[in-house]
Amino acid sequence: MPDTLAIKRISASPSALIPLESLRSGGPVYSKLVDISKCIGCKGCEVACKEWNDLKVEQTSNFGSMQSHKDLSSNTWLLMRFNEVEIGDDLSWMIKKDACLHCEEPGCLFACPAPGAIVQYQNGIVDFNQDQCIGCQNCVSGCPFDIPRFDKETKTVAKCNMCIDRVEVGLEPACVKTCPTNAIQWGIKDDMLALAEKKVETMKRRGYEHAALYNPGGVGGTHMMYVVPHGDRLEDYSLPAHPVASPAPLGGLNVLRRVGSYLLGFGVLSALAHFLAVGPMSPEEDS
Amino acid sequence: MSQPLLLRFTFLHRVVHWVVGMTFVVLLLTGLAFSYPSLFWLTTLLGGGPAARVLHPQIGAVFGVGLLVMFVLWVRDMFLDAPDRQWLGAIKHYAAHEHDKVPPAGKYNAGQKLFFWLQSLLGVLFVATGLLLWFPESFGSGLLNTMRLLHFAAALAGGLLLILHVYLGTVAYPGTARGMIDGKVTTAWARLHHPRWSGERVER
Repeated sequence: MPDTLAIKRISASPSALIPLESLRSGGPVYSKLVDISKCIGCKGCEVACKEWNDLKVEQTSNFGSMQSHKDLSSNTWLLMRFNEVEIGDDLSWMIKKDACLHCEEPGCLFACPAPGAIVQYQNGIVDFNQDQCIGCQNCVSGCPFDIPRFDKETKTVAKCNMCIDRVEVGLEPACVKTCPTNAIQWGIKDDMLALAEKKVETMKRRGYEHAALYNPGGVGGTHMMYVVPHGDRLEDYSLPAHPVASPAPLGGLNVLRRVGSYLLGFGVLSALAHFLAVGPMSPEEDS
Repeated sequence: MSQPLLLRFTFLHRVVHWVVGMTFVVLLLTGLAFSYPSLFWLTTLLGGGPAARVLHPQIGAVFGVGLLVMFVLWVRDMFLDAPDRQWLGAIKHYAAHEHDKVPPAGKYNAGQKLFFWLQSLLGVLFVATGLLLWFPESFGSGLLNTMRLLHFAAALAGGLLLILHVYLGTVAYPGTARGMIDGKVTTAWARLHHPRWSGERVER
């Protein structure tokens, strides 16, 4: 049986730049596939997530929406967002399963300065290791999907771990297991892509001409993909149209880091060279 | 025999200098630890990664206040005058230690004055970007990534200035560092490096 937890990338390590793919490969690469059109809004997935991951329950209140919580938190890793949008004369719920998308090129991992605090496995899961987290929240600004949440008590960051402890032993994540309509499915990524293609075709036949698969290339694809009926209205689903793993300022930072290390070394060597060339300048001792 | 001495820096000047200097070194080392994975072990100096992450901005606050006091204490001596401009024109002679070709400097030479203004500018950049990074939840992530870039750029420039400052203040010009220890320099040192200042002092 192939190793289900072979490591691909570790934050703040050489593997963050050059993934460890060549060492071990051939293991399964998984993905969730969320079919928004099949969601009935029961929120069973939210409950299953809390239960399996033993997350603290938070007091909720009615704020005039079908949504359970206003936002994700370090104790709420999955939130079904019920965005209300008018299409024609009709009100539509643009439902989004808001949780970590497990990017193939994870912006959080690239931004993380703490070695080992974020690990990406070859199976596609990106997991936070709170033992190594220093609480700087660089991952929060590094994530193009606004997923990681800082916990003020533990001073660490948390998010969906794709139920890695279930996946490891061959089970599907808890939200998938509990979904009564199969709106959330789980399997080998290639199979999920083929399934998504069929779903998109079916939707288009039914009149959703902009139906689309959401598997954005700017982050190398994701390991939670969506099939959305209104592919032309991604913002209404709170899905960024063009997410990127390393936005321009962080790309610039990486270049500057590389240049900077040489500049500092050059600075020290220049001082040494100057000293060797002209030596010290001392006042004459006779005055 | 012992040489006659001049007081170059008062106790207050010295204390502020070392507060800013030492906090900057700690900030630079922890900042390098956060920027280069291979230097992450430097966080051990402050008790490990989480402790370093908590202390870096707090020490930064002390650094910022120190730098502000430094600015107030030093600023009136730091405006460039006409001889300073001549000094800058002859900077290559200064670097080559061709002493007789360098126009005489006052209490601070033009290089030191420019250093002061650059340091103050970087200080503003450090504090402004650092504050946003300290309280990341208050601001958008796009802005924060730019802040990280600017914070690093400022640190890089500051690190280069530190190398220059320590080199010139210690091995390149013996007798200089004492001004920041007991505050005194020899008259011979003053006549060599800051003739216009030593002249003023002697006349008094």
